[in-house]
Formats: sequence, structure tokens, C-alpha cells
Amino acid sequence: MVPVLRRNNFWYCPNCDQKSVTHEPAPHSRFHTCPGLRGLSAPMLLVGTKGKVELREREDYVNGDMVALDPERNRPVMSIVTTRDNGQDVAVFAPTATAKGA
Amino acid sequence: MAWSNSKIFMAFLEDCLENAAALNLASDTHKAALYDNDITPDQTVSAANSTYNAGQWTAAGNEVSDGTEWDAAGEPLTGVAAGFSSNVYTFDATNTPSGGSSATLANVYGCLVYDDTTADRGICYNYFGGVNSVTDGTFTIVWNASGIFTITA
Repeated sequence: MVPVLRRNNFWYCPNCDQKSVTHEPAPHSRFHTCPGLRGLSAPMLLVGTKGKVELREREDYVNGDMVALDPERNRPVMSIVTTRDNGQDVAVFAPTATAKGA
Repeated sequence: MAWSNSKIFMAFLEDCLENAAALNLASDTHKAALYDNDITPDQTVSAANSTYNAGQWTAAGNEVSDGTEWDAAGEPLTGVAAGFSSNVYTFDATNTPSGGSSATLANVYGCLVYDDTTADRGICYNYFGGVNSVTDGTFTIVWNASGIFTITA
């Protein structure tokens, strides 16, 4: 008989106090609504991984796009970048496409 | 010219309304392919030129991918939801992450969302608003709370 082991992934957020546990065996990210990043949906870091999570504003004009907005500053946000010792993760906020206009 | 906004292809709408292609948003398989800034997306192109790997969406020299981390031809959309509420039709999916946790992608400006079941027909394109890259990590498209695309009647 082979025992079925359940994997525990422990997560923390460097910008707020929130902690979490997931049991997904495949690679994944854990997101949460982060008060430290003005209420945006932001990724968490695995416990034991040092890093920073930063918000990046949209670099181009909004040009009629339905973009994600910084809830406090009302500025369009483009992505959240997680910089780790050994790499970088990015979560990009894709605007909603519409049929309106050219 | 380059990327400037996020739009639904008019050819997609025409083919849906005129029963010209067997497109089914609710049950087909859809993918999101990443592109650099060498292209100029246009919502008024023909059906043929809205297709993945055709017209502006030619993969060679334009598409951004990394092996199985973010596959050439894109990652599949999961948790697709399509339908209307009041006078708004919405096509949505759960967030789309890279296939693994060690993706290296550079110069990502936007994505083409297309129907992988029906001749790779383009549905819409979504402009991220600037350059994005990832190094040995996870690249995730967080779809807007209003959906991948929306039509308000």
C-alpha cells in the first residue's frame, strides 16, 4: 500500500500580515487581496523565499481600455512584480477587450 | 504603430452573428498567446488575418514563448464562463498562469485570445499597457474583473 501524502505550501505576504496554506501539487501562485498594495489582488511568497512585491503602473495611455485601477490613487495599474533572490514573477492585469471604437 | 488598446475582432462577431463559423465560446478550447511590440493589432482585419499565426499574429519573430513554461501557440484558458447579465455579454476565464514556475519571457506587450477548436480563429486581443518580462518565475495573466471581453448592448 502506498500512502497518499498531502503537500502543504505555506505562503506569506511581505506587504501585509496575511498567511495561507495550499495543497496543490502543480506549480501555482497564491493570490490575495492585499491591504499593503491598496487592496489589489497580489501574489504571495512561499515561506522561506525572500523577496519584494511591487505594483507597476500602466506605461501607456489608457486609450479607452477597461483597465484595472489602483483603488486608492485611481491610477491604471499594469502589473505586480515579485522579485526573488533567484528570479522574478509577474502578474499582468489584462484590460477587458471591447468592440467599441477603432 | 504598435499595440494601443484591447479589442474584439469584428470578423469574429460577424461570423458568430451570420453563422459563418462554428464558434462556441462556452464549449470550445481557447488559448492566450503572448506577443511583443513588433505588431500592430487591428480589430477590423479579415477573419483570416485574425487567426493565430497569420497576419499581424504571425508567430515567427513576434510571439513570445518559453518551451512548456509558456507554450508557443499559447496557454489554454480554464474556467471559461460566457453569458449575459442584463444588457452585458461577458466572456471570462480564471487567471491564466504559465505552465511551470521557471518561465523566462521578455518584451511581452499583450496577448491574442483565440479559438483553438475552430481553426485558431482570433476572438480578441488584450494590450497589457507596456512591456512585461519574467525571469525564471511565473507569468500570470490576471483577467479584468469585467472579463476578457465584454459587449454592452
